[in-house]
Amino acid sequence: MSRRVSPGLRSGSLPLLVALMTLLAGLALAGLTGIQALAEGWSRAAHSAATIEIPTDIPNASDRTNALIQALKAMNGVTNIQKLSTDKVQELLSPWLGQPVGSHKGLPGLSLPEVLIVAHTPGTDLTTTVHDTLPEAVLQEDLQWGQRLERLGTSLTGCAWLAVTLIAAIAALSIGMTVRRSVAAQKRAVEIVHALGAADLTISSHIAGRAALLSFLGGIAGLVLLTPLTTSLATTLSPFAHQSALPTAFPTTLDGWWTTLRILPSSLLKELGALPFIAACLGWLTAQGVVLVWLRRLP
Amino acid sequence: MIRLRDVSLKPAGVGQPVLHSMTLNIPQGEFRWLLGPSGAGKSSLLRLLTLGARPASGQMDILGTSITNASRGALRNLRRRIGFVPQDYRLIGEWTVFDNVALPLRLRGRSERDIRQEVFSVLEWLDVAAHAHSRPTILSGGEQQRVAIARALIGRPDILLADEPTNALEESQARRLLSTFQELIDLGTTVIVATHNEGLVREAPAPSIMLRDGTLDPQAVKP
Repeated sequence: MSRRVSPGLRSGSLPLLVALMTLLAGLALAGLTGIQALAEGWSRAAHSAATIEIPTDIPNASDRTNALIQALKAMNGVTNIQKLSTDKVQELLSPWLGQPVGSHKGLPGLSLPEVLIVAHTPGTDLTTTVHDTLPEAVLQEDLQWGQRLERLGTSLTGCAWLAVTLIAAIAALSIGMTVRRSVAAQKRAVEIVHALGAADLTISSHIAGRAALLSFLGGIAGLVLLTPLTTSLATTLSPFAHQSALPTAFPTTLDGWWTTLRILPSSLLKELGALPFIAACLGWLTAQGVVLVWLRRLP
Repeated sequence: MIRLRDVSLKPAGVGQPVLHSMTLNIPQGEFRWLLGPSGAGKSSLLRLLTLGARPASGQMDILGTSITNASRGALRNLRRRIGFVPQDYRLIGEWTVFDNVALPLRLRGRSERDIRQEVFSVLEWLDVAAHAHSRPTILSGGEQQRVAIARALIGRPDILLADEPTNALEESQARRLLSTFQELIDLGTTVIVATHNEGLVREAPAPSIMLRDGTLDPQAVKP
């Protein structure tokens, strides 16, 4: 026989609401993880790369370019120098110059520059070496662009966190309204239990426990709804995962599904796994607060 | 012990007090009839004594605790020592009769085995044990009243308040209830019974609290 000491929670649509909120939170977290990864990549690239453009219509361009490459290689802090092929430069400039006609590179009368991509440790200053060896070369540190992109990434991360926070706030509000409606609907029973000497915490904990359980189940349902989306995302990412034997089609077995999901960052999987527990905590705390405030009206 | 000194009760949203300058002193282990016409303030006084409201003014002590300044925790502990049989029974319709009657014992943290034994004992005594697992909403008025009486008695309260506890009972059951009240008084319980039943009052003569228009009748607490 159940040990009843207080009216419970008339759940209404609480599990469904929490399931939908969990789905939204999961999507926001997936977006947040992607944006964070992008911002980190931009941040790394911003502090460790430079582009050098060398006009090809200067005297001894080829020899002087090789001399610059040697001088850069001799520098401490330079980790890699990549000389872009003419085709690659053409490809990069094609949005502005159009596609080449026949064997001609660039526009008629306009020669394409040599382009060097120099990777270096943060803080390495290439300016002196480049200007001393090949003054006609144009050095562009990617730092400025990278910093702008980094700021953009940080802003996007902030927006994603704001979205997650808003979803949590809306979930708390929905739970609070459900609990308040439930308590109002059982006003008489709550008053009877109170009149017989039930402590406020006894009543609120009973209702909050039920709210936590329903929120947890709603969170699990939300994860189930989220699973096709996360699996689809992982399947899309699998060609970029640099791991062998990864499925690229939508998995049809449990093993295949798990292997596919593991492509996603472990931090994201942990966050998604925590959502039902977070929903349960949110449900418990919100219900406690709402019921305790409601009970203050009783003597 | 119940002690009221110049107590007034003014519910929220009501302009005039429903009880005025009420002064009472009922020693522990005594019986009082609570009498008066409809609207005299009997239910308001019972509401005050069951701690359903705090006095607007005056001094009120119940079982040695001053209600005016008592904390919520102190009021909660006092409520557990007061049994009440409301006129409208106030049973929780969604719960079984057993759960309704077991509630005071569960709130005191008693074991389920003891609770089961005591609940069935009191339900059998009141002749409603057959309905233990039914919902009170399907019971007759008299049966519901007996369930409400069972809930009030099961915690062996120090104060027992009853509002028209016999109006849905048969005569034999009403007599039996009065003898139970007497047993409780002998054990030291203070019992106050509000009634319109003059026959019942004649059958069990006892001091009365007479109310009229929210005040004690000048000839109140008549022997």
